[in-house]
Amino acid sequence: MSSNRIRRGKITVLSMIALLLLLTGCQTEPAERNPDQTESRTASAPLSDSSGENTVKPAGGELTYALSTSPDSLDPHRSGIAVAGRVFRTIYDSLVAMGADGQIKPWLAESWDISDDGLTYTFKLREDVKFHDGTPFNAEAVKYNFDRILDPETKARNAAAMLRSFESAEVVDDYTVRLHLKERSNAFLGYLSQAYLGIVSPTAAEEYGEDLVRHPVGTGPFKFVSWSENTSITVERNEDYKWAPGTVTNAGAPYVDRITFHIIPEESTRIGSVQSGQVLLAESVPPQNIPALEQDADIELYNVVTNGLPFTLFINQSREPWNELKARQALLYGIDVDSIVKSLYLGYYERSWTPLTPKMLGYNKALENSFSYDPDKAAALLDELGWNVGADGIREKDGKKLTLHYVEISPNREKRNDIAVMVQQQLKQIGIAVEVEITKDYRTVVFENGDYDLYGNSMVNTDPESLRSFYHSASTNVAGKQNLAGMKDPVIDQLLEAGTVEPDPEKRVQIYEQVSQEIMDRAAVIPIFVSPYTVAASKHVTGLNFDFLGYPIFNDVVLQGK
Amino acid sequence: MTVKDFVLGKTVWRESKRQTAARPRLRSLGTGDWLAAVSGVILAFAALCALFPGWIAPYSPTSMEADRVLLPPGAAHYFGTDYFGRDIFSVVVYGARDSLLIGVASVLAGGLAGCIIGAAAGIAGGVIDLILMRFIEIVMTIPGILLALAIAAVLGPNLFNMIFAVAVSMVPGFARVFRSQIISVKGRAFITAARSIGMPAPRIFFRHVLPNAWSPVLVMATIGLGTSILTAAGLSFLGLGVVKEIPDWGTLLSQGRGYLTVAWWISTFPGIAITLLVLSGNILGDWLRDRLDPKREQR
Repeated sequence: MSSNRIRRGKITVLSMIALLLLLTGCQTEPAERNPDQTESRTASAPLSDSSGENTVKPAGGELTYALSTSPDSLDPHRSGIAVAGRVFRTIYDSLVAMGADGQIKPWLAESWDISDDGLTYTFKLREDVKFHDGTPFNAEAVKYNFDRILDPETKARNAAAMLRSFESAEVVDDYTVRLHLKERSNAFLGYLSQAYLGIVSPTAAEEYGEDLVRHPVGTGPFKFVSWSENTSITVERNEDYKWAPGTVTNAGAPYVDRITFHIIPEESTRIGSVQSGQVLLAESVPPQNIPALEQDADIELYNVVTNGLPFTLFINQSREPWNELKARQALLYGIDVDSIVKSLYLGYYERSWTPLTPKMLGYNKALENSFSYDPDKAAALLDELGWNVGADGIREKDGKKLTLHYVEISPNREKRNDIAVMVQQQLKQIGIAVEVEITKDYRTVVFENGDYDLYGNSMVNTDPESLRSFYHSASTNVAGKQNLAGMKDPVIDQLLEAGTVEPDPEKRVQIYEQVSQEIMDRAAVIPIFVSPYTVAASKHVTGLNFDFLGYPIFNDVVLQGK
Repeated sequence: MTVKDFVLGKTVWRESKRQTAARPRLRSLGTGDWLAAVSGVILAFAALCALFPGWIAPYSPTSMEADRVLLPPGAAHYFGTDYFGRDIFSVVVYGARDSLLIGVASVLAGGLAGCIIGAAAGIAGGVIDLILMRFIEIVMTIPGILLALAIAAVLGPNLFNMIFAVAVSMVPGFARVFRSQIISVKGRAFITAARSIGMPAPRIFFRHVLPNAWSPVLVMATIGLGTSILTAAGLSFLGLGVVKEIPDWGTLLSQGRGYLTVAWWISTFPGIAITLLVLSGNILGDWLRDRLDPKREQR
């Protein structure tokens, strides 16, 4: 009996040793791969640390970046979600680049010329650019990309929306391309700078077709290596790269050997991995973890403002009783945005007052503090409409209870589900019963069936023209008949159209200030917060930059002391 | 007398003493009963919380105050406050209602269904027994929490579906225990005697079989109460629970998860509440089993 137990103990110890060996074996594998990479690097580029000069940056290493969700696609024309954009930026280049200051800089296009009527853009392209598959980048490739986006077969989502005013592309010579627009668009260059209009290899697009989603080929600083679903995406350095945009300092190939994007949806795990050193960078730091990370000597915290549309609650005014202005105003006065932002984001997120974020062109500063939380006023407005408080504290009219269907997305990103919980309590005070529906399948519920009274959304974008897809009556992305706000308003439509074509920047500012004012006058939406993009980074990572949209740029990144 | 003899003598004496006089009586009124009493008090308190939460909770479980978020436990807020500014003690007290409701209702529903299947199989025997028990075995191959997860995911989150999901996962256990109990009682002499004097089958079943077969089921139900509360909390934790104004314990546990390093108290207290309730159920179940086990008295 006792000898038996000893033997079992021995076996346990032996198996543990075996397991340990197995584990360490797994860990050393990537390290073994590193040497031959260093070899190829020293052979091709003068980036090695052999010279003692300080000006030569130490190169190499693997950058690990923890993403909060998985990209839906690696075909830039077929995705519209921000997390995919962060990966696209490593694989694809655009014709032009937009720096953090909002200035347009050359990239794949060396220079460009805009006709006086604003309808023709002539781009002079770089002649030394090659796609990752070895095929040359030229005017034909650019034309192919724009034709591809407009081809309904491609099912382009975001990209097609940005090319709304685009008409056709014309190849002038090998390295000159002319883009014709249907109408003047001030947003056009900004759109061209976005990753969703990145240039894909025509050869690869033809070869893979729909499958380009999993076989991305571009001209970017990194080449695609592998994507394991819901786990990680790996890209490696493009040795031939020498066409970096004017927004970064390193014009050549990036310094790091490869970047692995790990997909870690669980907040505390993601932040824990950067604290423990398992990954070097982690995005979307929850506000409650910020104080501790700020104290951490090994961690650098980046807090980047993103631009576009803030996180906004859209009231579906095509449904009763929210078609009434007073009912919507009751929501605007009955929701205490200040305490939501203060409780959930602990002062790290800024409260939003308008349909645009503060750094956008045409931001209407006058709207700040233009209204305040006032449940009594909200209640009075509902009284006026004939909604009287019933026995259970919920208002009724003609035997119908006053309910509000609030749709939110699972998983709980940026504590948006918690906003719903707070709104539910606040609106209960003024006699509105809020039914919160938290669903993974928001596309069906909101965009196909239009079954919501309140739904929150935000958008990262370069130009206020993006308001069109949310407020213009011609935008019918919800149930094929309405925009997210359910708005059909000739005044707003006219202003949005004028804002698109107005050549004078001063006048554009006025137009968009007025659009914001009109939207808020109609109590169409409840702006909640401006989402910052937060990244916790190991101090070993230097040279990390962010573009205007808050997307990380890795060209200048150097790993130090690693 | 050698030392060895002395030691041996002492040991034997001790052993014999324990075996003869002291053991049975002391044990039967010892720690087991004491623990069972404490468990009973805890369960009673939980039931009180579920029935009259307003008497115990100092605050409304839904009132959110932006100026009291993430306060640590203290005199004003025994369990601290969460990130909404809710008093966690009050939320836990009110949350007892759903946790207990789901626990009791799913045990009743699952137990009843299981017992009916088990009784049918046990009485009928033959092909019906074979079919019913194979079906139960198929259900048993799927782990309880997985089965509940699948049902909750398919039917969608609401209270009834949640009870249904947890209840289904409890059916196999009850069915098997009750069936074997019925079979064992069925074979006893007094049943044969009843049959021989021409008693109708339903009467035999209700008068003689059932009263002699139910006690293990009672034990299972008490222990099952804890299990089902745990399963329900697990479902809520995974986001498949009921979306409602007052969160149940599993939901609260899940809400506090992201704050563990900052405000440990959000998840800890509902966690302790679940642990205490489940443990109490199990201890009481064990105690009941000891009491109801006829073999115990014979010893």
